[in-house]
Amino acid sequence: MSLRKKTPHKQTTPGARRRFLLPLTFLLLSFLLMILPLEGFVSSVKAVLAYVFIPQVRLAHGTAKYAENVHQTVRELLDAHRENRELKQEIEMTKLLASQAEAILDENGRLTEILRLKPARRWTGVWAKVAYREPTQWNTVIIDKGSRDGIRERSAVISMQEGKEGLAGVVVEVTENTSKVLLVRDEDFSAAVYLERGQEEGLLVGNGPRPVRIKYIPLLTHVEKGDKVFTASTSSIFPAGILVGEVSGVREDESFQTALTVNVDPLVSSAAVKEVFVILDNEAKK
Amino acid sequence: MWSFVKLVFLFVLATVFHWAFASVFSYWGLSVNILLAFAAAFCAVLKPAFGYPAAFFCGLFLDFFGTKVFGNNAFTFTVCACIVYNLSERFDFDAFFPQIVTVFGLTFLAGVLNSLLFLWFTAAALWPGFWSLLGGSLVSAAFAPAVFWLVRRVLGKGSICRQL
Repeated sequence: MSLRKKTPHKQTTPGARRRFLLPLTFLLLSFLLMILPLEGFVSSVKAVLAYVFIPQVRLAHGTAKYAENVHQTVRELLDAHRENRELKQEIEMTKLLASQAEAILDENGRLTEILRLKPARRWTGVWAKVAYREPTQWNTVIIDKGSRDGIRERSAVISMQEGKEGLAGVVVEVTENTSKVLLVRDEDFSAAVYLERGQEEGLLVGNGPRPVRIKYIPLLTHVEKGDKVFTASTSSIFPAGILVGEVSGVREDESFQTALTVNVDPLVSSAAVKEVFVILDNEAKK
Repeated sequence: MWSFVKLVFLFVLATVFHWAFASVFSYWGLSVNILLAFAAAFCAVLKPAFGYPAAFFCGLFLDFFGTKVFGNNAFTFTVCACIVYNLSERFDFDAFFPQIVTVFGLTFLAGVLNSLLFLWFTAAALWPGFWSLLGGSLVSAAFAPAVFWLVRRVLGKGSICRQL
């Protein structure tokens, strides 16, 4: 006869089963989202989420920004009248300059035709505001214009800084009313560029928090700190001649070099991007 | 229905707070995760049928901004929700100390787990740095009592809340 007491089998209650199944479902779902490629299904999920999250994101961004800048907003309001008067004068001046520029363009067109040169193309686009920037993802911003405004994936994005226009990034995702922009510093960013001094071309690549680099510059190229860098006409996305930044140094730590790697200080700082111009009709690439 | 509306309102509020805190503390290089504190508070107050989806959506909200992996934050937040539901049988989440300790531990764990998932799926590091994570966890933990109070205050004893 056994001394061991027979223990009854535990019955699994529906409540206990649900308590186990519920987290498992969400864990599996999130795991599935992680293992699936970012295109296709995940992209559709993101597009659906954009409708839910984007208004929320705008609210979050706007509220936090408003609370952060209340004192500054009051001061700005006090200065607004004076600035308004100054801006009106500036607009008059700009109109004058625009009419002069138009005349110069006409003259340039005539001369180009006479000399049978290939005419320089102009591009058009839309201005957009940065609607959201996740603090842990400084190299990506969401702007408040989307496919409804004509923005498409791989549209070039520029921004004004210190009174100059500079390359800001490229559109990587588009929804109806918003677009996600990959900024120059992101590791996935690359663009064909050339150095102003000798016109040598190279490949600009983002490098996260470290300096942006230009790879594949011919080895004997004379490069100096402060040399300007522009987008090259060989780029498949960006129009030629957009200022990218200035050379901040040449990397000399790589042995057995076959090409130079140059560090670049981008004109447009990731943290300071507030308004951007998305190039829609890049005729030069057509 | 009213409780659910209040939960949605809290979710929106959580994202506003998360944005504000993350922006302010990023100047000092601290990786603060207030949204996780809210997710923990949701799980401490809500029935699992509402707590798990709330935590999952909080994570999904953060995933929305990533470009390389999608779902890592949702996974991390769901793991944290599991931990909170298991701890709630042992801890009294009405007291400040368990709230602080739980949020501190979860924020640190979420940072590590997130980095590991990121490393696994992209072979790139997302590690914010030990001191950044530790400091961020401390800040998140310091605000945990206020977050728990707010969640309890807004949700009250609605139909979606746990009967303790």
